[in-house]
Amino acid sequence: MTYAKNFPLLMILILFISAFIMPLMKKNIFVKGLSLFTMGISMILSIYTWIFITKNGAYFYRVGHWDAPWGIEFKIGMIEAIMAMLFTMVATLILWYSVYSVEKEVKDNKVSFYYLLVNILLGSLLGMVFSNDLFNCFVFIEVTTLASCGIIVVKDKKENIAATLKYLILSSLGSGLVLMGIAFLYDITGNLNMTYIHKEIMNVHAVYKNTLHIAAGLCTVGIGIKSAMFPLHVWLPDAHSSAPASSSAILSALVLKAPILLLIKILYGVFGFEIIREFAILNLILILGTMGMIMGSVLAIKQKEIKRVIAYSSVAQVGYIFFGIGLGNKLGLTMAIFHIIGHAVTKSALFLAAGAMIEKSGKKKLSELKGIGKEMPYTLGLFTIGALSMVGIPILPGFISKWYLSLASIDAGEFMLIGAILMSSLLNALYYFPIIVNGYFGEENLAGKIYKSNEKSIKELLPLMMLIIGMIAIGAGSNKIMDMIRIGLI
Amino acid sequence: MHNTILKEISKIIIPFIQIFGLYVIFHGHLSPGGGFAGGTILGTSLILYRMVYERERTREKLSYKKLMTCMCGALIIYGILKGYSFITGGSHIDLPQLPLGKPGNILSGGYLLPLNMAVGIIVSVTVYFFFSLFYEGEI
Repeated sequence: MTYAKNFPLLMILILFISAFIMPLMKKNIFVKGLSLFTMGISMILSIYTWIFITKNGAYFYRVGHWDAPWGIEFKIGMIEAIMAMLFTMVATLILWYSVYSVEKEVKDNKVSFYYLLVNILLGSLLGMVFSNDLFNCFVFIEVTTLASCGIIVVKDKKENIAATLKYLILSSLGSGLVLMGIAFLYDITGNLNMTYIHKEIMNVHAVYKNTLHIAAGLCTVGIGIKSAMFPLHVWLPDAHSSAPASSSAILSALVLKAPILLLIKILYGVFGFEIIREFAILNLILILGTMGMIMGSVLAIKQKEIKRVIAYSSVAQVGYIFFGIGLGNKLGLTMAIFHIIGHAVTKSALFLAAGAMIEKSGKKKLSELKGIGKEMPYTLGLFTIGALSMVGIPILPGFISKWYLSLASIDAGEFMLIGAILMSSLLNALYYFPIIVNGYFGEENLAGKIYKSNEKSIKELLPLMMLIIGMIAIGAGSNKIMDMIRIGLI
Repeated sequence: MHNTILKEISKIIIPFIQIFGLYVIFHGHLSPGGGFAGGTILGTSLILYRMVYERERTREKLSYKKLMTCMCGALIIYGILKGYSFITGGSHIDLPQLPLGKPGNILSGGYLLPLNMAVGIIVSVTVYFFFSLFYEGEI
């Protein structure tokens, strides 16, 4: 079974190398097949990695011929294995969905480039998850930024170009800040490997208190821009709402999450629980997360387009994750990671369902989508289950993360914050329920609509169904998943 | 540009630029330079050709498809070579590696020479693509 140790690196290599075969292919159908095939192989490899980890525990993997402080190193633990599995599974399902619909939003001659970018994007996200080397993570952040800009602009419309430029400028600023944070850490400790930086920091943190504060702040703000922490989220609604449906699903479900995982690694792995607790940075994350939870929902209520509503909802949901990180106890951190999993599956399903509605009806305004439930009952039904999870109905993952986040905030002694969680849930209901209610009910809404006249075929809806089933399974098996995350955290 | 002097001079000068670029690429592991530096020099020769001989004639010689094939091939070779090196090194497998050779020879330095060549091709094509996209908006 020692071959299994190579699988994480093999996943990244397969995705990167196969990406460049795509522009050489003549027919789009082969490109799609190759993309789906390589993503499926990565999924199988990630499942093997997870099985290997559950049997043998976490391990460090040496990349190349040099040992740890000099060469690059991967750290593959429980959390990394779960994340790899989540990323590849969600990406496979999204790609499967996009096989049927991508030509409607992307020009024929751009399809091979689109799948090239998706493969590179997933490869670099997996790299960011696995890598134990800060500078290597930074390189993967840059690759992610460029590739995700590419999959937004591929639609080639005016609004896409504007949104992409905004995203590109803000993200470059973010990665610049992260690089400065890494430079400070390197200056103090003389290492780029996270394990070694942690060892050095434990020795010198009393001397370099202010510098460490600055480094933590720079990394937090930089990654905050990348993953849409509340006041830095301005690029997100434009970028996510104008992109093709499958791109928005990938961007919202996966691209936002990998930098958050990196932030968790930096704050709790590089600095460590004992040191980071004394810093003011956790309070900042907590406050911004709480504000994001409420303001994201408030802004979502005011939106008129369905994809913008879902995009603003991402801001609110990312707020929950930052809230969990900011609480500074083990339960909060566990729930932050659990919410990453739950939100990735739910939000990708919501974006794909919304994309299906827009694609079939040709309308994207909420006011024009009334009565869609009669024309597309199954699609809106799947959308409804996803929305219920976002609002927080028991069994579904949204409820579980909200419940345990409340418990975690009681543990941390912050009783006021439970009010914020409650309020955010109510606000979530306020913008998701009108879409569903107006879709299914109302005499005038349904007038003139023919039952199932616009429905997608079952074949095309299958990936969407599997995402929803996966979401329910995550909710039902939440205890086991949380136990696994706890094993990974220790 | 319809200028006979320019055309005749560039006929002489372009091969020299290309030879210098190839020299920098092939001596990347022995002297300053390497794939990136040599690739940009090669790329400038392509750019000069494009500027002097206009779009149509350049397209006959350097078609988009041909360049794209070169670039993707080089990227795939780079990925496979480096990936092989990473994996054999990472899991301590004793599979055959490229020989290190005698220091100072061109055929030495293990993976450096083939990787430099791949980088050189990628960079020269990319530089040319960038130029033509900014110059005329199409390749």
